[in-house]
Amino acid sequence: MEQIKNDILDYLKNNSFMEREKTIDDSDSLTQNGILDSIGLLELIDYICERYSIEIPEDMLTPENFDSLRGITNLITRLAK
Amino acid sequence: MSKLVCKRCVLDSDIPGIEINKETGFCHFCETYVPISSQEKEQYLNRIEELFKKYSGRGNYDVIFALSGGKDSSYTLYKLKKDYPFLKTLAVQFDNGFISDYAIINAKKICEISGCDYFKLTIEKKVLYELFRKAAESYDEFPKFAKYRASDICNICISIIKQKLIEQAIVQKAPFIVFAFTAGQSPNPIINLPSNFIQWSRNLFEKQLQKIGVDDRDEQFIIKNEVIKNIGDIAPSILHPLCLWEYSEDKVLETIVQLGWKPPALEDSNSTNCTLNSFACYNHLEKYGFHPYTFDIAGLVRSGEMSREDGLEKLQQELSQPLIDDAAKKLDIKINKPQKILL
Repeated sequence: MEQIKNDILDYLKNNSFMEREKTIDDSDSLTQNGILDSIGLLELIDYICERYSIEIPEDMLTPENFDSLRGITNLITRLAK
Repeated sequence: MSKLVCKRCVLDSDIPGIEINKETGFCHFCETYVPISSQEKEQYLNRIEELFKKYSGRGNYDVIFALSGGKDSSYTLYKLKKDYPFLKTLAVQFDNGFISDYAIINAKKICEISGCDYFKLTIEKKVLYELFRKAAESYDEFPKFAKYRASDICNICISIIKQKLIEQAIVQKAPFIVFAFTAGQSPNPIINLPSNFIQWSRNLFEKQLQKIGVDDRDEQFIIKNEVIKNIGDIAPSILHPLCLWEYSEDKVLETIVQLGWKPPALEDSNSTNCTLNSFACYNHLEKYGFHPYTFDIAGLVRSGEMSREDGLEKLQQELSQPLIDDAAKKLDIKINKPQKILL
């Protein structure tokens, strides 16, 4: 779980303009905290599918699953099993 | 500490969130950049062709095309229809209240040549001016991801275009929406838009508008909820074919000028179609201290579509003072420093 979270955090720091020293809580909203917009979310979803070789069912593309580090980590853990 | 400029692209250490590795001299985008190989480009183009063949002919249109009338979108529409003549295409030009006469003439001309239908999307000018004024007066209200890719004004404008083109695609049952983004502007050639995501992105833009003080109760800027409810079995996909084709500004211009596209007389090196662009750049520079085209140009340089020298030169070009003044007057905004802007 921790490795997935760090991987996503690295992706955000490398591919958005999130400051390196910035810390975010696991439950913080990525969109409401100004880290991603809708285009950024699409790129993140694309990255997750490729990096973890998973297909994300349409009904799982929700803010609950994608708008926080915790949601994303849980989703990947469930789908990558 | 003195400013460090990435050795490969044009990003520098003064831009918040940009880190330059002192050992390599590269920014963190260049350090992790993996270009799309020519083999991958070919695979993407094959996939796009398969998608066109599989899903075309089912709705009123096959493609809803975002046409600004500028050089890139005019060229992309022409080449798209040349490569895939069977596509029934509706080109939509958004009149943001600042498009040049040239852009309208050029858009109609390219539609005529390509055999596409033309539709001008309009919103009352007074409403648009109020919206852009609020975007100009906002500070730090946009996600960093958006803010560093374009000015606040351009972000609002492009978001309306995306929202209304998706709406149009659903209404017309068109399976594809095509934008003329270069590899520097968008790295993803094919973006599937699940209906859940369309709803989510609509809500995000609605919240973004609220943040700058705009309540879009009439759904003039966002996708109408009623339309999303009627989305069919297949949600539209966004395609960016230009990022898969060989690109050079000179080649693009040469091709479309031969077709009768007229280069506009605007004194604005970054836009050939929008008279608000100079003001949008000025406003962004004033608020955030860096040119809003920096990331865009860095992407073009990184992907080899523009030389680093040309990229740096483009960022140093003066903005047009007459265009800035004219836009400021229309938006009823006082210019603090009415002098030529240089980086």
